Amino acid sequence: MKIWKRARQVVEESKKKPSPAQSGNKPATVQLAAIKKDLTDIDDAVFKDFQTKEGLITVVYLSSLIDPLILHKAIILPLVNEQKEVLKSFDPMDGSNKEKLIMSIVNGDTVVFHHEKQQYLQAHTFSPPERPVSTSEMESSVIGPQDSFTESLKTNLSLIKRRIQQTGLKSKDYTIGQETNTKISVLYIEHLVNDENLQRINDRINKLDFVGFLDITILKQLVEDNPFSPFPQYGATSRPDVAVNSLLDGRIVIAMDNSQSVMVCPSSFIEMFNSPEDFYNRWTTATLLRFLRFAGFFITIMLTPMYISALSYHPGILPYELLIMIQESRSRVPFPPVIEVLFIELVIEILREAGSRMPTKIGQTIGIVGGIVIGTAAVEAGLISNTLIVLVAISALLSFLMPNFLMSNASRFVRYIFILAAGLFGLLGQMLALAWLFNHLLNLTSLGTPYMTPVIPRSWSDLRDSIVRFPLAFLQKRTGLSRAKREKKPTK
Amino acid sequence: MDVKKKKILNGYHVVFLVQNIMVGMGLLSMNNSLSPVGYSQWWFPILFGLIANITLIPMIWLALQYKDDDLFDIHEKLLGKFIGKTLNSFLILYSIVLFAAVIQNYLDLIQVAALPQRSITGHLILFIVLTVFIIKGGIKSLARFCIVTFFLTGWMVYFLRWGFVDGEIRHLLPLFNFTASEFWDATKKGFNTLVGYELIMFYFPYIRHPEKAFKHASIGIWITIFFYLAVGIVGVMYFTEWQLEHLLFPVLKLFQAVDLSFVERIDTFGITIWVFLILTTAGAYLWTAKKGIDSVRNKNSQYHIYVTAILTFIIINLPVSQAMRTTLYENTFYVSYGLILWPILLCLVHLVRRKVKR
Repeated sequence: MKIWKRARQVVEESKKKPSPAQSGNKPATVQLAAIKKDLTDIDDAVFKDFQTKEGLITVVYLSSLIDPLILHKAIILPLVNEQKEVLKSFDPMDGSNKEKLIMSIVNGDTVVFHHEKQQYLQAHTFSPPERPVSTSEMESSVIGPQDSFTESLKTNLSLIKRRIQQTGLKSKDYTIGQETNTKISVLYIEHLVNDENLQRINDRINKLDFVGFLDITILKQLVEDNPFSPFPQYGATSRPDVAVNSLLDGRIVIAMDNSQSVMVCPSSFIEMFNSPEDFYNRWTTATLLRFLRFAGFFITIMLTPMYISALSYHPGILPYELLIMIQESRSRVPFPPVIEVLFIELVIEILREAGSRMPTKIGQTIGIVGGIVIGTAAVEAGLISNTLIVLVAISALLSFLMPNFLMSNASRFVRYIFILAAGLFGLLGQMLALAWLFNHLLNLTSLGTPYMTPVIPRSWSDLRDSIVRFPLAFLQKRTGLSRAKREKKPTK
Repeated sequence: MDVKKKKILNGYHVVFLVQNIMVGMGLLSMNNSLSPVGYSQWWFPILFGLIANITLIPMIWLALQYKDDDLFDIHEKLLGKFIGKTLNSFLILYSIVLFAAVIQNYLDLIQVAALPQRSITGHLILFIVLTVFIIKGGIKSLARFCIVTFFLTGWMVYFLRWGFVDGEIRHLLPLFNFTASEFWDATKKGFNTLVGYELIMFYFPYIRHPEKAFKHASIGIWITIFFYLAVGIVGVMYFTEWQLEHLLFPVLKLFQAVDLSFVERIDTFGITIWVFLILTTAGAYLWTAKKGIDSVRNKNSQYHIYVTAILTFIIINLPVSQAMRTTLYENTFYVSYGLILWPILLCLVHLVRRKVKR
């Protein structure tokens, strides 16, 4: 990792010293030895000399970032065969800027040094191993395009750009991360995007001060409006069709190298319950499913707390038969309902966590352990009641309904607040917690736009694409959320 | 962002602010407080609505003369710095006591109806903290909360269906079966269900379209009157006159008439979801108190919210007899009648001052 520090030192030094160009002298070309010195102890750095007609030529590159076949075809073969004018096919570089030279080597380019002319040339040979475009595992769908983003920024950009074929689609590149120098690309459609939004996200990216970016989720947390909230404030997707749909709505999409999902901003609470399939399904099906997901969120955070408050504080709220049934099922349980619920909810969390960490082949064990040991044995032992197992299973399933994984995690966290509130104050506690939740959501913003649109309506037409997904003919306006420059979508 | 702008309240914000601040504990006991006029009470909400709408006129007119000032500033401008500040201090005290009254009335009811074994301290703290959270976001946060509250609680009007079906429609007539003193008694006690819309004088400078504020506030008032009328009619149909007089919270009894297969006692549910309506009402008074302290101290500070909250907590926990507390709260409600009529006087002062200046 020495090279990074070196590169940064060089940057700092060059900032301190006035550059030779400013002082008036002709800038001196960096000596090859200086580059060699910077690349010491990087064992995959290759320096190869070729004697050609035009003179001695040295080729410098990092072998781990370059496919040998490409290198061979593009550089070595032409040089060895002494093809005419071969050097002209490479881009000339500013030989005096050592930092830039080193950065391009580190980025995976091949730098060619012509000894006689004292000239540096550059060839784009960056070709690390990449996985091919495959179907999305995070957001799979039955109908609609199946391709998904990969970890390569170039591939991701091509997946988006081949869907929007016009020059209005802009992609601005930034390099972020003090140590990792990660490339990101901010995509937007120029004549649609709201300038204020764009300005805001650019400012935030420029202000970033963080060591390393391993995934876009890190960037997302750093540029969020309220970092303390349990809720994700920007959309994330690994599907190009969703990204394109948001671009067409005037949103901003940010893609990052080495990250297989992109982020969409701004984004609203209700959109976290939208699945890409909603637009491919008929509107009736889409509406039904959206309603299910949205109601699912509130049921999943309210169901087990309801059990607590009904049994601990308000037994009168249940009809007689239901009360008898529940009481019978927990007649042998020695704990108060709160402890019972907390216990089984934690067990479910543990099962989930263990299941996701375990190699797939042992994964079946989890099913057996979870199903038989926890399910049957715990009930028979009298640790928990049957009814509660059903409720917990339902609320766990409901939390998976949300297409957005971070939202599903948020619902898991929020549920515990409700459980504790119900344990403390029964139904009143639950309602107070609900009031807290709504107040929190209402005050959240996503890139300065209210998170709870269209409850806080930016424009009434937003309601047509909220829980009810109107037929596409009605969705003529862009959402008020994105504050697009052109509100109406073009008709014919 | 919109936080930095001063004009932040849209039309629908005003509608829901007016509407939700009015609805609170008053509705739960409305049939009871109107009981002096017996079965003739059901049309009283309409009368109250008219009174409210008429008294709204001087408020809005006065506020329109001073577009960027709330009532605190208007006091100082019209009555001079000293009298104005003294009056404002009284107003602050009034808001704090009302804040305490709203909370305590509700939590006392909760203690009786939903959490019999618990003292109120625990949820009192939670309640006050939550109100502080809401108010920290300013009046717009409260307005947004009001919108959510409307949709979370408004549907409960459906619960009246069972009372309506079981009730006796002949109770609605005759319309004027009362004496003048009974009428006066009912109006005096019943009008506190309407108290809350006068707070528009405090958040008026934040309204984006002040010239339309009267329309929006009127819509808010009449939405409330619709709910009150529904409860009034169903209450009159369902209860006997004796019940109206002796049931403290008739709406809860109406909830108990609900017959659903999967829930037995809907009143527990109703009374706990009522917390949203109480939060908006209490929040409005907390916000008013905060603004008052801001204006008296000539300084905007979030600490004023905390100070108010702590003060309220102390007031509620003061070792005072229940009877004295009830008198205090009741009289504070009568003060708010004064506050509703107060702008008429201020309008006169304003006119006189303008004449003198010329």
